[in-house]
Amino acid sequence: MSTLLDIQNVTVRFGGVTAVEDVSLRIGERELLGFIGPNGAGKTTLMRVITGMVRPQAGAVVFKGTDISTWPIHKRIRGGLALAQQIVQPLHAFTLLENVVLSAGGAKTGNPITALLSNARDDERAVALELLERTGIGAAADRYPGELPLGFLKRLEVSRALALKPDLLLLDEPLAGLNQAEAESLADLIAKLAAGGQAIMLIEHNIREVTRICPTLYVQDNGRALAHGPADEVMADPAVRRAYLGLEEAC
Amino acid sequence: MAYEITLLTTMAISVLFALSLNFISGFCGQISLGHAAFYGAGAYTSAMLAKAGAPFLLTLLPAGLVAGAIGLIVGFASLRVRHDFLAITTMGVGFLFIGLVRQQDVLGGELGISAIPSTGLGKIGFMAFAMGLAALFAGFCVYVKRSWMGFVYDSIADNEDVSEIIGIPVSRYKLIAFAIGTAVAGVAGGLYAHHVRFIAPDSFGFVESVTVLAMVIVGGIGSIWGVAFAAAFLSVLPLWFQPIDDFKILLYGALLFAMMRFSPGGLAGLVARLRGVS
Amino acid sequence: MLYLELFIQGIIQGSIYALIALGLTLVYGLLRILHVAHAALFTLGGYLGVLVTNATGSLALAMLVAMVVCGVVGMGLYKFAYEPILGSPPFVPLIASIGLFIASEELFRMIFGPYGLSYAVPPLSGQVALFGTFSLRQAEVLVIVLSFAMIAILGWLSLKTRTGIAWRATVADPEIASSFGIDIQKVRYLNFFIGSALAASAGVLVAVLNNLVEPTMGSVPSYKALAIIVLGGLGSVPGTLAASVALGVIESFGTIYAGNFMDRDAIAFAFLILVLMARPQGLLGKA
Repeated sequence: MSTLLDIQNVTVRFGGVTAVEDVSLRIGERELLGFIGPNGAGKTTLMRVITGMVRPQAGAVVFKGTDISTWPIHKRIRGGLALAQQIVQPLHAFTLLENVVLSAGGAKTGNPITALLSNARDDERAVALELLERTGIGAAADRYPGELPLGFLKRLEVSRALALKPDLLLLDEPLAGLNQAEAESLADLIAKLAAGGQAIMLIEHNIREVTRICPTLYVQDNGRALAHGPADEVMADPAVRRAYLGLEEAC
Repeated sequence: MAYEITLLTTMAISVLFALSLNFISGFCGQISLGHAAFYGAGAYTSAMLAKAGAPFLLTLLPAGLVAGAIGLIVGFASLRVRHDFLAITTMGVGFLFIGLVRQQDVLGGELGISAIPSTGLGKIGFMAFAMGLAALFAGFCVYVKRSWMGFVYDSIADNEDVSEIIGIPVSRYKLIAFAIGTAVAGVAGGLYAHHVRFIAPDSFGFVESVTVLAMVIVGGIGSIWGVAFAAAFLSVLPLWFQPIDDFKILLYGALLFAMMRFSPGGLAGLVARLRGVS
Repeated sequence: MLYLELFIQGIIQGSIYALIALGLTLVYGLLRILHVAHAALFTLGGYLGVLVTNATGSLALAMLVAMVVCGVVGMGLYKFAYEPILGSPPFVPLIASIGLFIASEELFRMIFGPYGLSYAVPPLSGQVALFGTFSLRQAEVLVIVLSFAMIAILGWLSLKTRTGIAWRATVADPEIASSFGIDIQKVRYLNFFIGSALAASAGVLVAVLNNLVEPTMGSVPSYKALAIIVLGGLGSVPGTLAASVALGVIESFGTIYAGNFMDRDAIAFAFLILVLMARPQGLLGKA
């Protein structure tokens, strides 16, 4: 399996606090990687390093063989990354459908001149509707985010990320805030996408679903890599059990 | 009749000016408190060229280019600051502009430029020309609003960070909004200079910037028809009711406050709300 | 000698800026509102100062009346103008505030006339010899002493008293503060009262310095104070104080050395823009 994303010795400090320390991690094409760790482990920070929202003090991010460390966010997204954020950020002035349509229109929005000369939205609308159906919120396509509960918005985040047709999909706790049935069905969708060849990095606290669908796990604690390997081996690792499961047995 | 022509010309210039700000603040969501500076840059450029013997029509393009170029510089600066910081930075640009112009003898200093040559179009011709330009730009705005560019601007106005994370090159779009909005303000300024045939730094100060912002906000920020209507109405209100002239500024202030306090969506928002109720 | 004189003049101007900008930065820290209409209270303070002094002959009484009245008016502004629009996007209160300010200037003009008022007997017009040939007007000394004293007392109160601690906690994090039983609403009123009273005191002092109050005396300070709090890093009290004094001094030198090129206001805003380009979060703001 060839490497899709290569995180090399990344360190991030906020003021005096080290959020991520010398982390290296590789994700291959078609890989579904579960990324777990206790609260404050620096998971979201590492995700933000990948998308460019946080610039690391040291280290590099190589994507599809190119060092993208200095690229702005939008360029990384156009290059094939997509992020569904943990804290939902819908565009409130748009309906769910429009939120996804805009995202699906990457070919038109990348260049302002193309955008100025383009009018039709039918193709993007069809793509967006289909995505909303797949994530199970098609019925609310014409509603506005402000009127909908968190569960819908979490799935909107995922739909919007998928609409970008990414090479690597970054999901930051997509299941949080969903009830068990919703979480299961979204996890099923993630597994299905992965089976179809979509590379995915999944940060999740819902250990039950992560271990159910992710063949490989990566564990981070206190900003450091703790374990990385096949799910069953990682979960059997005493260090992981101590650092993570010991604290959160209930999960 | 001459009076009505003056009135309509004033209206047309104000509509063009207000729509140019609406492109930046309404479409792209970047509040500017110094828009009169670009109006002024265009007015001075056009007036100086006309005094040097250039025919009126040929002064408008440089007026737009000079204003747009300054606008682009301000745009680059604006990329570094946001929201409240941006509002104050643009306000600073406005003060900087008149502060600089005041001290330049070439530009007439405090006294400004007078006896700007006639356009040669005649009063009616000039009026029709100004109205034509306003209509043309309004049409362009409507087109943009419906295009993917307008879609993107809505998203940037809503949330810049989210727009960026779905792959939109936000800075590029913002710069384009600044360039277009300020260039058109420059053209409007060129029209203004040739309409009143006398300009001075005070015509482009903070009060003017707030006045044009008032037009945009009273009309309903982002709404093309609302802004055009508010600009036409507010620009001639003081001319229409001469007795009101004394209260003109009080009226502007009160209107701004009342609109924000009771209907932040402006007239367009008010109309939408009334429709929703009935 | 010229340098020293320019420097002292800068400090005097800077003290006035500090008194005005403090209230503005307090309001911003608490409510995220750019309270342009704040300068209307500065003007009102100036008028009250002149009117009460002329009626009673006591500048101290005038100062007290101006501060209390403006403090109360400030609380009223919060209650009736800002509180209802607190949840709106930031441009809404900003524009509302600009509207209020413009309208208030016109009101002053209508009520007190366009030409302004002066003291019947200009107070503190004597000179104070400092050292050598260097002397200042009594009024100028008063400005420096009084503003330093008021700011020092305020700082001490905010560090040492229960109310001060509650206020600082609320500025730092309103939610946590309210979970500790602090009455946020009270803190907001207090904030507006103190900020407005300080602006009023600045108005009285400026009226003494210039022996003139006029309807538009608030415009320049109003916009300048915005520049100052942005320079200071929006909501940062030490940043605001530093920026006030820095701006006062820079203007004072700038008008001598760059005056043919740009006017005093332009110097202030050129400085603002330069600083923001280098530090978009302001001098002492957090990134």
